[in-house]
This record gives sequence, structure tokens and C-alpha cells, in this order.
Amino acid sequence: MSWKAASRNQDTLQTLTKKMPPTLRRREFLKLAGVATATAGLVPAIHNFIIEPFVNPPEEELPGQATWYASTCRQCPAGCGIVVRTINGRAKKIEGNPLHPLNRGKLCARGQAGLQVLYNPDRLRNAVRQVGGRGSRQFEALYWPEALELLSSKIATLSRPERLAFLGGMMPGHAYLLITRLLEALGAGPPMIYDLQSALEGRSVAAQLSQTFFGTPDLPVYDLSQSDVVLSFGANLLETWMSPVAQSVAYGAMRQGLMGNRGLLVQFEPRLSATAASADEWIPVRPGAEGFVALAIGRIIIEERLGHVGSYRSQAVLYQNVDVRAMAAASDVPVDTLRRLARAFADADRAVAIPGGYLAGQRNGFASMLAVQALNLVVAQVGREGGVFLSNPGPTASLQHNPPANTFDEVMELTGRMKAGEIDLLLVYGTNPVFELPAAAGFAEAISRVPFVVSFSPFVDETAVWADLILPDHTYLESWGYQVPLPGADRPVVSSQQPVVRPLYDTLSTVEVLLELAARLGGKPAEALPWEDEASFLEEIIGELFGSSLAAYDARTPSGFWALWRQYGGWWSERTIQREPELNEAIQKPLPVSDPQFEGNPDDYPFHLYPYSSIILSDGRGANLPWLQETPDPMTTVQWGMWVELNPITANLLGVSDDDIVQVESPHGILEVPVVIYPGIRPDVVAIPVGQGHQDYGRFAQAVKGSNPMELVAPVTDLSTGALAWGATRVRVKPTTRKQVLARLESLDGKGRETLE
Amino acid sequence: MNRRWLLIIVLLVSVGVVAAILLSRLQVLAAPDQPISYSHRTHVQAGLQCLYCHTSALRSDIAGIPSLEKCMGCHSLIATDNTTVQTMAGYWQRGEPIPWTRVSKQPEFVYFSHQIHLKTGENCETCHGDIGRMSVTSASGKMDMGWCLDCHLKQPEDKIARLADCLTCHK
Repeated sequence: MSWKAASRNQDTLQTLTKKMPPTLRRREFLKLAGVATATAGLVPAIHNFIIEPFVNPPEEELPGQATWYASTCRQCPAGCGIVVRTINGRAKKIEGNPLHPLNRGKLCARGQAGLQVLYNPDRLRNAVRQVGGRGSRQFEALYWPEALELLSSKIATLSRPERLAFLGGMMPGHAYLLITRLLEALGAGPPMIYDLQSALEGRSVAAQLSQTFFGTPDLPVYDLSQSDVVLSFGANLLETWMSPVAQSVAYGAMRQGLMGNRGLLVQFEPRLSATAASADEWIPVRPGAEGFVALAIGRIIIEERLGHVGSYRSQAVLYQNVDVRAMAAASDVPVDTLRRLARAFADADRAVAIPGGYLAGQRNGFASMLAVQALNLVVAQVGREGGVFLSNPGPTASLQHNPPANTFDEVMELTGRMKAGEIDLLLVYGTNPVFELPAAAGFAEAISRVPFVVSFSPFVDETAVWADLILPDHTYLESWGYQVPLPGADRPVVSSQQPVVRPLYDTLSTVEVLLELAARLGGKPAEALPWEDEASFLEEIIGELFGSSLAAYDARTPSGFWALWRQYGGWWSERTIQREPELNEAIQKPLPVSDPQFEGNPDDYPFHLYPYSSIILSDGRGANLPWLQETPDPMTTVQWGMWVELNPITANLLGVSDDDIVQVESPHGILEVPVVIYPGIRPDVVAIPVGQGHQDYGRFAQAVKGSNPMELVAPVTDLSTGALAWGATRVRVKPTTRKQVLARLESLDGKGRETLE
Repeated sequence: MNRRWLLIIVLLVSVGVVAAILLSRLQVLAAPDQPISYSHRTHVQAGLQCLYCHTSALRSDIAGIPSLEKCMGCHSLIATDNTTVQTMAGYWQRGEPIPWTRVSKQPEFVYFSHQIHLKTGENCETCHGDIGRMSVTSASGKMDMGWCLDCHLKQPEDKIARLADCLTCHK
């Protein structure tokens, strides 16, 4: 068809004029093309490529070629092995270490985001002193020798060594070993280890549970991968609890095991977590009544003589005080369901019950955890494949010296001493107590009573704001270290940590600071910490492993071992060595039946508050990483936000819908937060993820609107363990007339798709 | 009249554009200005091998430009009174990298490896010209595709099919 013929056709003409600008004619096109060609010809004259070679090239650097360094992730206390790809001396990508027995090449989103810890624009670039008074956020750079002199003179002039306190988070083993040695040499008390992550996963309670059952505080390892039936009581084992990557790998094996069996996972908790969403069954138990479910299941197994012959008789005494009907009524789980689960659990060849972090966060937490662990006893799964084992401790005496989590009560005792003016010097390392402790615990007031506070945080967080001196530590990708993963893998493991890049800024490893302090102080501290630097200290401790017959690799010389230790990403046994627990005789007595208690009158405060651990931000330490902030929460798909989850029934009663701002008030605090209507939660529970609501901690953490849910949490404990009962606060919810539209990747209710019915 | 003027203007502009294109091509071949008047000739005459400074040519795609640390390895003692060496030492003292202007560059869409070419026994001079005699470094040629093929097509017959394949360089 000729052009003229086409132009007669009005439709075609219209289509053509829509697609092409009508003014562009052949001549203009040629002109434009001519100019473009001429410009293109001139390009080489315009371009000037600058190449800047290194001033000091990084070690082993080969231009254009990647070097992979093995190290250990420090984004949570699990201690997964990582390999980091570096090019031109810059870290580019973090992956799981395929050789590492714990995570076997896998890595979670938080581990991947570690690069943004290293390259974070809000990192402190040198030692600073707060000049406008504490809390002023006016910092002045300090020359390191001057900073170290200031700190060592503060230590030297203490009237009594007990007036020095050290508060740390779950730190790598080598830092803990040095700190305890230094404090001991100084005559000060042992370091206090506490962070919100350890409270939310119930680490201290888990250690006490092990002590009661197995006579050792070493954490149990639940052999998920070999199990046919797993009852998880409030353990979000695919998200943040204990060692989530190792547990996810094991979960995968359980679901698609070699035998072709598909294991069954049942999750008991008041809110549908991502773990519950991956389970076969989610049972929304009444908060604090999880232990009752375990007791009832145990009682049914004993009464009905279910499962393997003979395995239950000796345990009958445990359930003497248990009435199944009463337990069913108290936990909102029908007797039929309990009976069905008891059968499935007892009849399975290999079954395991896991007492999780949510249980530990209740005032009857220890009783509940006892009840859950007792289930493993009843079906004789202690020390059996697919059941309960114990973490292998460090293979040498020095490596057995690992940080235990202190309880909330112990931290409150320190807070009390701070308030009473009994502490003159406080050192804070790897934890952010002002943000992480319940506001009602009064730590912010206590820290203001301490005359001199030193923080080792690489970022100005809520606690560092109250420090006189900040001596920023390297980030973990710039640091040395080792860690014995606890809970461990199926064999003895020590993970190695090494710098993958040169320190980006004028920061100093806290271990180096301690060694330097000891040298300056002289006397006992210098004797206790005689090493010249961090690497020589590590070489000595790690050197003890040289020549072990267990090792997965052979080295002929100590220096060869030191090289392989770094290359492999640690030391581990070649073959599986699972540590079988020895049962403590003392447990042969009736299990306690302990009613949950809550802070707040049910008439005034009708809802249970569930401040849950976020898979993205964990306890809040990921909040300054944009990659994590923009990762959609797996259940609500909210990005860059904070929210409260309400059941549709609850939302209806309150007359609120998605994105409406509500006031959540507890006897201890009040905050405002937008609503996400979430069907996967009990109507009497409201859930808020922890980790947002930062006042400090950098631009990305502060960019998110919201308040810290720890402001609501009552500072109450489980009396039998002293652990924080973070799930034992009641709240009331009041609508406001305002809205805050949350960024969500998907809507849960299919809004806007009604026509697709 | 108007028409003639128009013709002259158009002609002049065309000549200008063509001249600019040619000049810009020439400039590609000309030695670019460098922050330091480094002389390859001086260093080669002193007996240095190419690989002493361009260490990764045998092990990597990229030959590499030496770090200041390497420069100072000799120039902490040698020729410290030379003003050019002093300029270089100034960068070292300030901890600043020297912003060299690149002389030879392959475009982003070309895969080129020094390692492969050196392993086949080529010398640096084959491509980079008589650089050991240059006191000011300039590119030896345009380093375009015709220039590459010029050599690739002269290779033994059994290798030509592979060496002339588009995907050898344009991966």
C-alpha cells in the first residue's frame, strides 16, 4: 500500500500520527542524524579516563580479580561462616561459607546486609569526646593515644575497682575472654552480658533449662533435620531464634529428607510468624499457656500409653498434677486437638519438642519450658537422632570461655548500683541498653548518674549519646576474632574471623584497646594480657588446636595451621560428633503447673502485647541498614515502617482499618502506631515488631517514624529465672482520627481485586 | 545571493566538523597530559623490566599501574633531588593517589586479557610500541578492531577460526 493510499485510510493515519511526531520530515531527520554523527565522532576528544592506582595496595590484591576471604558473620549471635568477595581491596558481596558445618553455605538477609555496616555513612570515623555535655550530641575528634590515656587514667584513679562496670552484648569469644581477664586482673566484677536479642530468644532461660535437665548450661541442639514430628512452642526457628540459618537448613532437610519422608511441623504461638506460616499447623495458644499444652500432651501420652513401649512409665510422676481438661480450657486448645497431636508426637519414630523464646518471655516461662523439654523425655528423644543433643563446647580450655547471657534481674541489679552512685566508670560494648531495655527499667536515668561512660559502638546509638567518650570499634568485616557457635552444629566448631578489608576509618578494635589499656596500666592487668597485639593473642589461643586429630584439614606447622584456619573460615571436626546429654536425676518430680501473670488489669488493658523479634531488623541493630529497611516483612510486606497487627475482629470492634493510627497504651507507656489488619493473630493479642523507633543510630534508623515498643513493656520477670517477661504486658488500644499510609509490597486481603471473585 | 552565502556557510560548517573529527582522532593518538612527567625511557634504561611495575599482567586481565608504595620502594633513596620524583613523593606524603590519564584503553564491550596475550609469548612492545624509548607515553595505534584482527588473522591457520570469532572478544 502506498503512502497516499494509506493516508486515505483515516484509521491508519490516526494511528501513525499518534505514534510519530507529525513534524518530523525526511529532511529534518537527515539533519538530526548528521549532527548526531558529528557529535559521536567528537566523543573520543571529550573523554578523558583517569586511573588512580593505590597508594598502598591491599594484600593479595590482583587488579580485576576477586579475592574471597572466609570469616564469621556478626549480625546476630549465631556465628555463621561467611565468605566475602573483595575486589581492589573493597568488600563487594557476602555469601555463606559452603564448608562451614553450621550454615553450610547459606546466609540470611541480615548476613547479606553486612556490607552496609561496613560502608555505612553514619559510622564514626575516629575516637570522639562529647564536648557539649552528655546527650548534647556534640562530638570532638580525639587523637587515639589521648583517648586511651584518658580512659586508662580513669581506670587508674578509681577509688575501688568494683566501681568499674562492663556491660556488653553477645560478643565474639576472644573479646569476652580478654574482657573477663582484664576485669579480673583489675579486681572488678565480671562483665554483664545482655542484649534484647538474647532476651527475645530466651538465651539465659535456655541455659538454666539445660542446667536443670542435663546438669550443664550448654545450650541444647534440636536435631530438626532428622525429625519426623517437630512441636515448636514459640520458637521462630526460621527467623531469629538462636541459629536461624542452621535451623532453616535443617528444616529443609526435614521436609525433603533422603528417606522421602516429609516431617511435620506444628507451631504453637499467639501470632502467625513466618515460621508458623511454613508449618503444617499453627495453633494460636492463649499467651502464657503454651506450657499447659505441653503438659496436657505429656499427660495424654502417659495416660493412653502412646508411642514406644516402655518409654513413658518412668515419667508418670512428672504429670501427677496435670488435668488435661483444665489445661485445654486454659490454653484454648480443644482436647481433641491435644489428643491428635499427642498421638502424632508419640507415634513418630523421631520427634522433638522445642521450647522457644516466646515462652521464656512470660512470667511462668521456666515452668512452660520445663514442660516442653519434658516431652522429649517422655518419648525418649534425649540424645537420640532427631531429638535433643547438647552444643559441643569449645575444644580447648580457652575456647570454652564463651559469653553467657545474663538475666534481666542481674542487669537491674547493675542499674540499681548505677542509680545509687556506686559505679564511677561504665564501659558499654556491643549492646544498646537505653534502646533495648524496657524504658520503665530506668536505665536512661541510671546511666546519667554514672560520672564517666565509655562506649565502643561504631555508631552513635541511643546509649553512646550518653557516653563521655566513644572509642569506635572496627566493624566485623575489618576485625579479627573467633567464635564457638552456641547453639552449635553437629560437630565441634570454632569459627574464625579475619579482616576482609583494611579498616576504612581511624577506628580501633576494642580488643586492641583492651590490650593497650593493660599495657598502660602495668602490674596485674599487663600480666594478665601480655600480648602485643590482637593477632598474636589469637595465634596463641588458636595455636592450641594445632595437631588435633579431629580437624577437617591437616597442617604440618603452626604457621601452616594459622593460614588454613583463616582460609577455611575456622576449625571443625571432620566427622559428626553429637554430644549426648546426661539426664539429671533431680527432674524426676511432678512438673510445676504455673498460671501466667500479666502486668495490667484486664478490664483496663484488654489486650496482650506481643513485641516480636523482627526477621529483618532483629532486635533493632539492623535498623540502620537501608537494605534491611526496604526488605518487605515476610508476613505483612511492610517496608520502611513500624506497625501494630490487629485481628480483623479486634479492628472491627475498635472501628479502625489498615493504616489508621492508634494509640497503644500499657501501664508503663504509650505510643502511636499505624494498624495492619492481620488475620494471623489471636483477637486478644496485638503484636508490634521491635527494632524501630530509634532516636539516634544514624539517618536510616531515624528516618522511620515510630516509637520503640520497649517503652510499653513492663520491667517484670519470671521469678524462677530472673529473665525479662517481655510478653507479659497488657495494653489498651485507642483509635485516633489520623492515618499513616504504610508502604506495603502486597495487601493481605486482596483489596482492589474484588472484581476477580 | 542569499543562496550562495548559505552554501558557503554550510560548506564551512561541514569542513569544520570533518576537521574536528580528524583532530579528535589525532588527539587519541597523541600523548595525553599527565600529572607527573613520568618517563618510561629513563626506567627501562635503568634496567627495569615491565613486569616489575606492571606486576599483574601475567596473572590477570589487567596489567595494573604500580602503587605509590612501589614507587617509593626505590624513590625513598633514588633520585630524590629530581623535581618530578619530589612531585610523586608529595602525593605519597599526602596519601593521595596519582590521577594518571589513561593512554591505552579498550572499550567496555571488548573482552581483553593481558594474561592470555603474554602466555602466548607476545611481548609488551607488540601492542604498546617501543615504549622503552618513550619519555612521554603515547598510544601506539588506535587499538581498534581492524588493528586487533590485523594480528589475529596472521596466526596459524588452525587458530584463525577461533581468533576471528566475534565471541572471542565480544563476549
